Amino acid sequence: MSNRKISISVSLVSTLLILGYYLLNLILMIRQGDLNSEDVFRLAAIVIIASIVMNIAGNILTTIVINIIHAIQTQVEKEVRMVEDERDKLIGLKGTQVSYVAFSLGVLIAMLTFVFGQPPLVMFCLIIFFSLLAEICGDLAQFYFYSRGS
Amino acid sequence: MEKYQVRNNIRKLRFMNGEMTQEQLAEKAGVTRQTIIAIEGGKYAPSLELAFKIALAFSVPIGEVFSYEIGDTQ
Repeated sequence: MSNRKISISVSLVSTLLILGYYLLNLILMIRQGDLNSEDVFRLAAIVIIASIVMNIAGNILTTIVINIIHAIQTQVEKEVRMVEDERDKLIGLKGTQVSYVAFSLGVLIAMLTFVFGQPPLVMFCLIIFFSLLAEICGDLAQFYFYSRGS
Repeated sequence: MEKYQVRNNIRKLRFMNGEMTQEQLAEKAGVTRQTIIAIEGGKYAPSLELAFKIALAFSVPIGEVFSYEIGDTQ
């Protein structure tokens, strides 16, 4: 597996964990009949901050681990080239495009729930859900493009 | 229906240039080894700039590395 695929895997796993945490807390709130705006906004803030921190930390840790493994395997203390070339940028852009489409559709669905009489809190929860789902779709799309070649 | 494809002789040129590895070519061209693998396998068509860099790495004209030919017919 290439270094870039490893980075995308780390991003995918961290986003899945955050999505799982978000859904679990949301379902617990709904079951307890305690779905209030303050708790939902707090949960959303935790999810967004965790997403940013885990992505940054994940990238840093991935780079460190790859370099350690490379040094152990090759017995050479040469830094692994973490180059982002034109193909990586192209696939990254295609992944972003897929994320954008997924998020746009999600926002549309969220807004439709509001149009059909659901409270604004439901729309907000759905927007956060679809933002995480869009991130996952983007990562999966990148995997697909890497396996295809471009 | 005829479809044109970008074809290349990178593998042959690598072996003719002192059995250059994909990693070595990648370093010379400023890209990753995976990109060279994708180009060699015909899965990725490089940009014009990258095509020139690869040709420069082999010290040959670009036409000796890449060609635009009819690929699979449908």
